[in-house]
Amino acid sequence: MLLTVIVFLPLAGLVAIALLPRDSRGAKWLAASVMGVDLALVAWVAAHFDVARGMQFAIDVPWVSQAHIRYHMAVDGISLTMLGLSALLGLLAVIASWKQEDRPKAYFAMLLLLQVGMNGVFVALDFVLFYVFWELVLVPMFFLIGLWGGPKREYAAIKFFLYTLLGSVFMLVGILALYLHPAGGTFDMLALAKAGASGALPFGFQWWVFLAFFLGFAVKVPVWPLHTWLPDAHVEAPTAASVLLAGVLLKMGAYGFIRVSLPMLPDAARAWAPFIGVLAVISIVYGAAVAFAQTDLKKLVAYSSVSHMGFVMLGIAAGTVEGLDGAVAVMFSHGIVTGMLFLLVGMVYERTHTRAIADLSGLVVAAPLTGGLLAFASFASLGLPGLSGFVGEFLSLLGGWRSALLPKWITIGAASGVLLAAAYMLWMVLRVVLGKPSAATEGMSDASPRELAVLAPLIALTFAVGLYWDSILRFVDPAVKAISVVVTGAA
Amino acid sequence: MNWLVAIPLLPAAAFAVLWPLSRRARNRLQWLPLAAMSGSLALSMAAGVAVVRAAAVESSRGAVVYHAAVEVARIAGRPLRMGLRLDAVSAVMLMVVTVVGVAVQVYSLGYMHRDDRKGWYFAVLSLFSAAMLALVLADSFLLLYMTWEVMGLCSYLLIGFWHELEAPRLAAIKAFLTTRVGDVAFAIGLAVMWATKGSFDFAVVLADGAAWPTGAAWPAGAATAVALLFLVGAMGKSAQVPLHVWLPDAMAGPTPASALIHAATMVAAGVYLVARSMPIFHAAAPVALGAVLAVGLVTLLVGGALAVVQHDIKKVLAYSTISQLGYMFVALGAGSEVAALFHLTTHAFFKSLLFLGAGVIIHATHTQDIREMGGLHKALPWTTAAFTAGALALAGVFPFSGFWSKDEILGTLWRGGQYLPFAIALFGAAITAFYVARLWFRVFGWNQACSLARESHAEMIAPMVVLALITLGIGFASPWFATLLGEEARLPDPGLAAASTAVALAGLAAGWYVYGRSEARGTEPLRRRWNRAYEALGNKLYFDLTFGELLITPYIALTGRLSRFDTSVIDGAVDGMGAGWRRLADSGARFDIAVIDGAVNGAGRLVKAAGARLRRIQTGRVQTYQRLSIAALIVLVLWIFLRGV
Repeated sequence: MLLTVIVFLPLAGLVAIALLPRDSRGAKWLAASVMGVDLALVAWVAAHFDVARGMQFAIDVPWVSQAHIRYHMAVDGISLTMLGLSALLGLLAVIASWKQEDRPKAYFAMLLLLQVGMNGVFVALDFVLFYVFWELVLVPMFFLIGLWGGPKREYAAIKFFLYTLLGSVFMLVGILALYLHPAGGTFDMLALAKAGASGALPFGFQWWVFLAFFLGFAVKVPVWPLHTWLPDAHVEAPTAASVLLAGVLLKMGAYGFIRVSLPMLPDAARAWAPFIGVLAVISIVYGAAVAFAQTDLKKLVAYSSVSHMGFVMLGIAAGTVEGLDGAVAVMFSHGIVTGMLFLLVGMVYERTHTRAIADLSGLVVAAPLTGGLLAFASFASLGLPGLSGFVGEFLSLLGGWRSALLPKWITIGAASGVLLAAAYMLWMVLRVVLGKPSAATEGMSDASPRELAVLAPLIALTFAVGLYWDSILRFVDPAVKAISVVVTGAA
Repeated sequence: MNWLVAIPLLPAAAFAVLWPLSRRARNRLQWLPLAAMSGSLALSMAAGVAVVRAAAVESSRGAVVYHAAVEVARIAGRPLRMGLRLDAVSAVMLMVVTVVGVAVQVYSLGYMHRDDRKGWYFAVLSLFSAAMLALVLADSFLLLYMTWEVMGLCSYLLIGFWHELEAPRLAAIKAFLTTRVGDVAFAIGLAVMWATKGSFDFAVVLADGAAWPTGAAWPAGAATAVALLFLVGAMGKSAQVPLHVWLPDAMAGPTPASALIHAATMVAAGVYLVARSMPIFHAAAPVALGAVLAVGLVTLLVGGALAVVQHDIKKVLAYSTISQLGYMFVALGAGSEVAALFHLTTHAFFKSLLFLGAGVIIHATHTQDIREMGGLHKALPWTTAAFTAGALALAGVFPFSGFWSKDEILGTLWRGGQYLPFAIALFGAAITAFYVARLWFRVFGWNQACSLARESHAEMIAPMVVLALITLGIGFASPWFATLLGEEARLPDPGLAAASTAVALAGLAAGWYVYGRSEARGTEPLRRRWNRAYEALGNKLYFDLTFGELLITPYIALTGRLSRFDTSVIDGAVDGMGAGWRRLADSGARFDIAVIDGAVNGAGRLVKAAGARLRRIQTGRVQTYQRLSIAALIVLVLWIFLRGV
């Protein structure tokens, strides 16, 4: 029941906003309080979560009984980590948009609707429910980019919408295939995972269904070469939408691999692992190289996401516990660190009206807090030990090396990403943060207390996860162990 | 938890306090890192006493005196612990780091006096100290790697401290990226270690035999892989050829930071890593230690030769550091961690002393170019005395510390029967003495004094005096040092000592002959004599140039090409599919409008047109209707008649 409240509370908020008078300023307050309550509820769930048990806080009632569709939600450690990320970034996105003057009612309504979909995806355990939330996310994001975005917003919004929709059509095919197969025959994701683990699904069937799901999830992650919607969407999206897009939406794809592809189709996952590993290492190296060449600050961060998500895919392809621990840790860390980066880029853009790296210089002299935090976020992003980014990437590498499914050169190639990430990040820091202020940055105002309040929890989490890995791994490790056993046959 | 934890935690706390403060508040609290570091020094001394006591009782090498660990995570249910442990090696490193650290911080109070960002400088220095202290106390390779990287961050921040100038900015990124090349190898080495042993703990991975999962010792293949990968990591951090290129550029940072980080401590971390991993190197194929030896030999020659042609006082010292680190690698390659660690210790003191002296000289003369100096011994008596002690130690002259430790390395090679490495190391010692003499005579020689130069404040002189005294005295502790680390005490072999002293004196004499006489002032005799070799050295033996041409420029070009490829080909394919679909839709739409909709509309239009015509007859006038009725009747009658016919 609690999960239902967490998922649908933002919907109630949306209805309340709709009832507000047209020129009301109350929308942001309403949105912030709903998101705040949501986050508090997630925190309550985390506090009462028993890491020794699997799925918890379950609700499982018939929904459309004729088609065996159930309203089934629960959380395990992986879902809970993602749910926490989603609730936190949702709240911060609202506060980051506090000065939204353009159609604020509709804007905050869209953020709330987005929250419903994001929360729902991570707790749904019935495929139909999962699919509904999955597609629900597209709609508010489409409007957030298309209505409140930059100059090319319509192109970017449509590209984002169609690209991911095309992917999810394949996913729907996969869902139906599992439902129609005699050994499947259900939409219940836990039952399907059990069928997958028992080996009831024949390999050839698994192979094709895996491909269908792969297309759906890989677009979302995004995996090279299906990534080009991402830079466009990020560059045009408003700051809050960028934060949620990179912070939560990309994770839906990776979450799909971990929740669906690996446990339900373990034989196919083994067969596909080298292929995914190769795409992962290409994503890491290619994303880092292309990020290096970017002249737009936001695009650089967007391509860095492609590279970081490569580490997630490496861990997933490995299938080992270390690898999956690493994958989820990167997902979480990338959410908070890239969130920070997008918030800071947004702050810089608001003040200087440019994102061109060539125009920005000496940020730390002109605005010490903003510049210093941008440097901090960059170091967190390049995987400095002691900060969150290191934990996941390191575990991914350990998992990749130990995995019997991947050739060693894949892990070696991925490790070079550690160097390449430092290259593009520090090259950006050198040009933007250091040096003498340019005409654009000279005299710009520094971060406001509200902006610092948005960044503060992210900074704190970056340290917390980086110094005390168990702060998230205590939830993640037991949950991924169960999945890894199915894939690799050993813990 | 015990008091050991406080050693790195005190400076870490000082950083944590200073970091969020404003610039002004930081500057006011600039004494805080020094206070923290002094606390660490006191605790380190206590740690040293504890180790000495323990060694007296057990006299077993590597005995762990204290150990405390926390579990930071469980991976696959297996605990991942990070903790601190104290043994003799750690205790020695602690003394090096805290003594040099305190000396540098006191000195910095004077050196950074006028900088309006000095609070940040001290904060970063404090974070560095915390990382380095945690590194030498780390009980696992994982924590060692993590603190290793944090030191890299501090090094980056301090090299780029004056980032509004271009050279420090570029030097900072160069240092971070070059050392990270090594770190990639280090990280892969850790992955191999994890896959082989399932742990990073020294207690597990360095113990012979008794280990998870099989209780087996290191398989030779895995041990070789780990050893070589760790070696590459160490080469980055300890500036070994060819990854040495960052260290001379790193001199763009404040001089006391160079003294602490880029001479005494951080750059020695690579040596410490290899020394710690020695059991793995021994389990590995002989190629691993052979590689360490080869790297060290090449580096000591390259560094020494390059030091001869530098004109920047700090760069002379930087190349000298590279060369001396090479000596430490040679000792490691010969299998003697004790000799390596002893040279590390003596070098830390005398090289930081030289850097602090260089700082005074730079402040006094406002130049770093030794061709513009000379005759400073009159204006800077204290500095001259201290610097000279450091210089003689570096040259390896009895009784200064460098003599003892270099002798130990040479002795190790000789006793091991490695005569070619011995000869190279001895030749390197001659080069060392030669560039030391060059440096000394360029700075202090002749009688034309820089009239403006004045001796510095007491807070800058006092640390140098302390370091000079250590440099003078610590050599005599050589036998005790070996005992502490669990080797049998050995006094220098008289014949060997005579040979190395002769070589050092010969080098100094040659240096005096070339640079010390008054007619040598302002000239570069070597250039006239060996022009081509001099030019090659002047171009840093083309290392930087080669990396630039073969790696950096092509990589930047590649990123540009990939970026264009991404937009034109990959995204082009997506947009192309979109456009193709749209064209299809458009032609579909045209067909729809022209043919299908055309048919529908055509029918409609027909009816409408007919209706429009017919409407005209609906005039509402009876006469019209009557006329139409008659006409219709006529037509009808005619039609009936005609059909009838």
